[in-house]
Order: sequence, then C-alpha cells, then structure tokens
Amino acid sequence: MSTDVMIYTNDLSKSFGSFRAVDKINFEVRRGEVVGFLGPNGAGKSTTMRILTCFISPTSGTARIHGHDVFDEPLKVRETLGYLPQRAPLYLEMSVLEYLRFAGDLRHLDGETFRKRARAVVEVCGLAQVLGKEIRHLSHGYRQRVGLAQALIHDPPILILDEPTSDLDPNEKTEFLEYLKQIGKERTVLLSTHNLNEVESACSRAIIISKGRIVADGPLEEIRAKSGKVRYVLSIQDATGSAYRGKNTPKKGEVESALRSIKGVAKVHELPNDDHALTYEMAADKDSDLRPELFQMVVDKGWVLLELHKDTQTLEDVFRHLTVGEARRNRKLGSAQETASRDDEGDDDSDNDDDGDSADHRASAEA
Amino acid sequence: MQNTLTIARRELRSFFDSLVAYVVVGLSILTVGLWFFVAGGGVWQVDRANFGRMFEALPWLLALLVIPLVTMRAIAEEKRSGTLELLITMPVKDSEVILGKYLAALAMCFILLACALLFPIAMFVWPWHLGSLDWGPIWSGFIGLALFSAAGTAMGLLFSSITESQIIAFFITAFLLGLLVALGMLAQYVHGTVGDIAGFLSFESRFEGFERGLIDTRAVVYFLSIAVICLLISFRSLESRKWS
Repeated sequence: MSTDVMIYTNDLSKSFGSFRAVDKINFEVRRGEVVGFLGPNGAGKSTTMRILTCFISPTSGTARIHGHDVFDEPLKVRETLGYLPQRAPLYLEMSVLEYLRFAGDLRHLDGETFRKRARAVVEVCGLAQVLGKEIRHLSHGYRQRVGLAQALIHDPPILILDEPTSDLDPNEKTEFLEYLKQIGKERTVLLSTHNLNEVESACSRAIIISKGRIVADGPLEEIRAKSGKVRYVLSIQDATGSAYRGKNTPKKGEVESALRSIKGVAKVHELPNDDHALTYEMAADKDSDLRPELFQMVVDKGWVLLELHKDTQTLEDVFRHLTVGEARRNRKLGSAQETASRDDEGDDDSDNDDDGDSADHRASAEA
Repeated sequence: MQNTLTIARRELRSFFDSLVAYVVVGLSILTVGLWFFVAGGGVWQVDRANFGRMFEALPWLLALLVIPLVTMRAIAEEKRSGTLELLITMPVKDSEVILGKYLAALAMCFILLACALLFPIAMFVWPWHLGSLDWGPIWSGFIGLALFSAAGTAMGLLFSSITESQIIAFFITAFLLGLLVALGMLAQYVHGTVGDIAGFLSFESRFEGFERGLIDTRAVVYFLSIAVICLLISFRSLESRKWS
C-alpha cells in the first residue's frame, strides 16, 4: 500500500442484525482526490462513513485512514480526520466561536495555533458575521458552514463530509461547493450525496454504492460512459385530441410494436401521457443515430410527430440505471421487498432520513 | 484527562446557558428553606442547634429532582439530536466522554450542596450568631450527601445512556432513587430478612450515620461501588453503539 493512499477499505462489511448495510466494500482514495460517494438513501453511505470515522465498528473487513487501522487506532484515525455528520449536529446553545474553541480544545490546539486556524477557517467558511451568535439562531446553511469549520479547525489532511448540502437552498449549495473546491485543493475529501450535479461540479471521481455494494467506481467520464447507451424520446399526437390531422389513428400497442421493430432499438418504455400525446422512451447503442428511421416510420404510418430528441446519457441516468434498476428487479421478488426498494429510490422527501434509520426499516421489511 | 475536563466544562456551561442550573439551585434552596424554617414550625420547634431537618429533606430533593434533572440530558439528548456522533468522532475516548459528563453533573450537585451549606453558615457564623453549633455532624452530613450524589449521579447517567429520551431518563432515575431512599423507611418498620435487605440497599439507611456525625466505611464503600459500577455500565452502553 503506497503512502499516497489516504483512505483504504478492504472487504468492509457491516450488518445490523440480519440486514447487511454495507457489503464487502473495497476502495481507495488517494492524496488530493475529491471523491463523491453516491447512492440513494439507505444505500450504506453514512454507515461506511461512520465506520471510517470510528463511530461504529465494521462487522468484518478492514479500513485504514492515513495508514491507521480504524479498529486498532481509533484516536489516531480521528486526529487525522475532519468529519461533518449528516445535518451538522452541533450544540445549539453555544456560540459559533465557543463551538470552534471547544473543537479546538478537544483537538489539543494551543492558543496561538487555535487563533491562526480559527482565522483561516472563519475566512474560508464565511463565518465572520456570525461568530458571536448562538448556533440555534443560525440558518441551516450557516450551521453547515460551522460544521465544516469545526471539521477544518485542526487542518486535517482528510475530510469526510456526509451529505453536506442536503439541507441547503440552491444558492447556499453553490457557495458550499465553492468552499469545497478551495478546501479540496490540498486535501483528500470524501463527500457523500445523492445529488449528482454536486458531484459533477466538485468531484473528479465518484463511487456509486447501492444496497451496500459498490456498483461503479472511477472518473466521472468513465462512469458516464459505463452504460454505453443513448436515449430517444418520441411523442406522437393522440387522435382523441380535438384537432387531429393525421391520416391514421395511432394505437398504443401498435406504436410500441412499431418502435420495437426498428433495428437498433433496445428498450421501449412508455412515459406518462397526456390527452394529446403518446410518449415513448427508447434506449439504443451509443454510436448509432436512429432519428431518421424513427421519423420515417412515423411518416409511413401516417401519424403526427410532435417531438423527437436524442440525449446522451447524463450521470443522472447512469446513477438511476445502476441503483434503481436493482431496486426494480428486487420488487419482482415479492411484496415485502417492495417497500424496501422504494426506500432506495431516494425521492427528496426522505432526504433527511439517515442511513441507519432506513436501514432499520429495510431490515424489518425484509424480515 | 484534559479532554474529560474540556467536556465537563462544556456541559457545565450548558447547564448555566439553559434553565437547568437555575431551576436546580433556586427550586432546591426554596424547598429546603420552606421545609427547614416554615413547615410544621420549622427548625424553631426542634429547640436544638441541629440540622437534622435539613438532612431529612436533602436526600429526597437530590433523588427526586436534582440528580434526575442534571443527568437526564447527558447522553440521551446527545443521542437524539445526533451531537454525540460529532463529539465521539473527535479524538476522545468513550471513557472521557462518560467521565466528563459525570463530573459536570456531579459538579451541579455540589453547587447545590454548597448553597445548602450557606444555611448553617448564615445562621451560626455570619451574619447571625444564634449560638454555638456542633460542626462535626454538619461536615459529615455533607460528606454523606456528596457520596450520595456521587452514586446517584452515576445511576442517572446510566439511565441517560440507555435511552434516547431525556424524559424517560428523568423518570426512571427519579423513581429508582426515590425507591432507594424510601427503602430506608421500610427498613425502620419491617424487621427480619426483608428489612435487612431494604436497609442494606437503601441510600437513606446508609446516609443515616453521616447525619449523626458517623463516617461509616461500609457506607463509603457502598456509595463508591455503586458509582463505579454504574459508570462502567454507562461506558459499555455507549460503546455498544459500535456493535449494534
């Protein structure tokens, strides 16, 4: 293992009862890398981070931070880390400065070093205006900044941030990612999120995890290319609308089978329709361009084409493909698992669910 | 040790930042004062320069109000709000977290006891001189109360560490400590094995000697062992998060 490897895990697993929250995870993060740790809610992101910060112990496997084993040298590990847990749980009755001093004391910074570091983190995190304020009176955005500031107070080489942007409004998010870029210049950062835009703007590499397993790990370009598909969306006018001008009336089954019959179309999937349109989504190989064929087919059938476009797959699609796909497959196994996989799709309402909790739901659903 | 003190200092500050410290001290002194001077004619009816009345009230007060109040939040609230995760992932040992919180809660009890000590001082030293007071039983009584608090606080911390609700921690602690004090009365009226067991377990029976000026080693050992055992269990309970 080279000295450049800052975070190292080998077959890391964690079970809660019969439920495997993290299942044999292997990855390395090197010096200076900013890595996005992606996955739906309940995928095991927080659990992994809690193991790395020695809050909980793995059931099996090893993890090393800066060469220190999380099991044997928890204090050494924590000294090298700055950690911001989900939703920045701070002591609300303390003022920002008091809190930073408390963190500095626990990290054994002497007065001089503390002043120097505090000045630096206050500047980076933009806290100068609120130093004397009680944390309870701060907005989520500011609390998140205070959380980041305490994680940086001892100038750690490694930062672990658990969903640092989940409670922020769009402006705060952008700002936070700006800080992150500055901070990430000389540090190793592992950042968990389920928001892909953040990864695209702040990270060079992503690890995607689903149901406790790593499903993709690599530079963003590589992950984007992973599925090797392009997507087409086609809408044709529905005859039930008032002013239909087509020669023939399209029927659902007919459209679908016509689309399927085109060479190169891999998958046809009906999208939500309104009264005026029938809309389908198709996947095809990356290098092909099926638009002429699709257009010709619609003309031949005598239908009215409303919309036709081709997307290269975004990271979002890859993410969904890698994570939701698995959930869907599981849904077929039985109704009990249906609730379990729904948790996985990570709609925004459940943003605040921490991984441990949803892990519990799932464990009970699977029982 | 440095970490323990840092944590204890923070805890203590948060008692004073919230209402807890003022409720504990204010309410307690008011209750003790009423009981001591007013209820049933107060100390004036006793016709002796004796603080027995005060030592009757303080154990109940500690058991039912003070100790549950200062320990209920210790770990339960931190677990609920998630701050525990941030605290524990700092380079501190679990034992330092437990000890720091214990010291802070105990310090609150001692602050109350120090306030209660103002009663005899005010009456017999300054500003009033109501006569000469036999200080021996006063000191031993307060040593007894300190040991009582040491054991009770450890117990409260234990219940705070096994639940996420500070209300539940409060009631379990108050109930059990209340029971341990009440067992002393049972021991006085019931004889035989039951009475012996009650007397052995009761904080009140153990404390009785102290208010008469007797420092009984068995009682000292009893209180201290309870404190140590409860602290060890709280430590284990905090550590168990790793394996659950």
